[in-house]
Amino acid sequence: MRRSFPRRAALGGTAAATVLALGACGIAGGSGGTDDAAAADGEVTGEITFQTWNLKGGYEDYFTDLIAAFEEEHPGATVKWVDQPAEGYEDSLSADAAAGNLPDVVDMGPEAAYTLASADMLLDVAAADPEAKAGYLPQAWDAMTFDGLGGGTYGFPWYLNTGPSFFNTELLEKCGLDADNLPSTYDELFDQATTMAAECDDATMIGRLPEMEVFGSFGSQLMNDDQSAFTFNDAKGVELVQRYADLYAEGGFTAEAVNALQTEELEAFKAGQVAWLPGSSYTLKELKDTAPEVYKNVEVVPAIANTAPNMYLESLAVSSQSDNTPTAIAFARFVTGAENQMSFAKEASVFPSAEGSLDDPFFTEDDGTDDARVRVQAAKQVGEAQVWVPPTFSEASSVFLHEQIAQAVLGKKTAQEALDATVAYSDERIAGSE
Amino acid sequence: MSTVTTTSQTPRARSAPSPQGRRRTRHWSQPRWYVPYLFAGGALALVLVMTLFPFLNTLALSFTDATMLKGGQFVGLDNFRALLDDARFTTALLNSTLYVVCVVPFMVLLPLVLATLAAGRGRLLGFFRTAYYLPVVMGAVASGLVWTSLLESRGLVNSLLSWLHVVGAPVPFLTDRWLLLVSAMIVTVWMGMGYYMVIYLAALANIDPALYDAAAVDGAGPVRQFRSVTMPGVRNTMALIAMFSSVAAFRVFSEVYILTGGTGGPGGSVTTMTMLIQREGTGLQAQTGYAGAISLVMFVVLAALLVLQLVVQNRQGKN
Repeated sequence: MRRSFPRRAALGGTAAATVLALGACGIAGGSGGTDDAAAADGEVTGEITFQTWNLKGGYEDYFTDLIAAFEEEHPGATVKWVDQPAEGYEDSLSADAAAGNLPDVVDMGPEAAYTLASADMLLDVAAADPEAKAGYLPQAWDAMTFDGLGGGTYGFPWYLNTGPSFFNTELLEKCGLDADNLPSTYDELFDQATTMAAECDDATMIGRLPEMEVFGSFGSQLMNDDQSAFTFNDAKGVELVQRYADLYAEGGFTAEAVNALQTEELEAFKAGQVAWLPGSSYTLKELKDTAPEVYKNVEVVPAIANTAPNMYLESLAVSSQSDNTPTAIAFARFVTGAENQMSFAKEASVFPSAEGSLDDPFFTEDDGTDDARVRVQAAKQVGEAQVWVPPTFSEASSVFLHEQIAQAVLGKKTAQEALDATVAYSDERIAGSE
Repeated sequence: MSTVTTTSQTPRARSAPSPQGRRRTRHWSQPRWYVPYLFAGGALALVLVMTLFPFLNTLALSFTDATMLKGGQFVGLDNFRALLDDARFTTALLNSTLYVVCVVPFMVLLPLVLATLAAGRGRLLGFFRTAYYLPVVMGAVASGLVWTSLLESRGLVNSLLSWLHVVGAPVPFLTDRWLLLVSAMIVTVWMGMGYYMVIYLAALANIDPALYDAAAVDGAGPVRQFRSVTMPGVRNTMALIAMFSSVAAFRVFSEVYILTGGTGGPGGSVTTMTMLIQREGTGLQAQTGYAGAISLVMFVVLAALLVLQLVVQNRQGKN
């Protein structure tokens, strides 16, 4: 007994010391040492690292030429390009950030930018380069400006994506609907989905549960005015979830759809099991290549929305820990400049966020091809679209929302309870990141 | 005294190697206190860096409100209190516990039956041994994807059942909570059987064939021989496999993750403990403190499970 007590005490002491030491130290933290306002000043020279998200496979030549052009314009500056695979990109960013190895210029969306900026790991580009704002679409610039972080802008807007709605007209007619009267609002969509459920056993209108952006385009207010708390458990949010629950009870979508993600929804559309697909600018090409029978009967119409349609945004953020901040800022602005954005948009079937680029005939004139038809349709939509997903709405919150809606649809809780739980969970995440 | 010493040492000095040589010989041949540590050092360093440090770090984190990018403050037992109110945690704990309860008996008995059938020489037996081991080589992800395509509503299994008029509507293997859990368990058993069969084959080789002969002479049939000779002969191996498979079952991740497409099933109803840890502990907004608390609970449950098995095993040994 006399020997075992000190041993236990030592073990306990070691554990307690570790708890205290690690608890005090934490894992990481932003340096916050960079003077953002002066960051753009200085010579554009030295090596920087530029990280993209899953772009090396298809656009290697574009980026190689782009980097060569920048290096030619700025002798003494070199850019090392790294690309991360699509899967686990956020994990890769978090590992780099926690280790203090964030690349100088990083491709990321507003959600990742918000989290990294709240840890002082990103540069406020509005402060560093006050002239930059005028070069971008206002709604894209605003999407990277975070009120919850003092109104700073933590990334240069890069490419945008939005997509029209795709309908399988053959399926609609088979299920008792008029293909010349396609839905344009959610109310019309749900009404037609109910008709379809009554008429068809082997096909449905809807292929998966709604994501956060659908709440925005349905008319729910997602956050309060100062962006400090979520509010999508309002009457419109509850109405949206209830419409899905009612539709499920009527057989308006399948049990598979309750658990489906975007990939499964696309596959179901290609298989002729689902009639409506919210797509993107490259969906039609994919349908043509991989589901030619469905492609023949596809009609492309504006995205379903009660309010503004949704768009997605990628930005180029600059690390606050960069050793060559002027070079990093210059390169990020070079890549997101109007000319280079236009070239990339043509290469990658995306839309530029640079001011005025969408007025280019490439986005306004339909030459009769499939690509042009969808491109012009979607470009028109970009002008009125919003980035609906709040930057504070994390991936974990998105998964939680999906689970809660599924539980409401399956009748395990009410729509109000499901959304209240999600709002509470998401609010905790905001508090944890500040 | 000194003379005696000198004369007594001289002959030995002549026949012994030079002082340098003697030192060299002692250096390599005589034991030093640190030598065992040199041999164990590599493995010890690996354990310290890859196991002990992460464990202590997790332990520390579980008492903080740390996130991925921000060091946390000490919050005492707050994370554990929050776990009690978290319905996802209750679901995950239930699912992982059910996994142990349902999977372990099959993992202990089925591979033993397979090993008994596949033991011996012959090409056909060799073929079966290889076939049973194949799922182990395939890996969890490939197996999970194959089973997903088999079990989905328009998959091979449902098509076959429909064609045979066994069912009118597709069986919701991947959309009903309990069927999904059972499907994942079947995949786990299917994947693990081959591995444990190989362990049983080695154990079966140690059973004296004369015992089977004696049992046959006494009139014991194959079933009685299995119960009275084979099972007692591999009892220790069975206990070992029960222990291994319990830990593996409680930590199940890949099979459930793949079968549910990473969503944890409808409404997250099939989420397991490891999936919950992955969800809370990864990503830019990871709640590392909270994930650490879940990990710690998981560690305590597993430790309790192992202690329980050891106690039962020791009692059986004494009896």
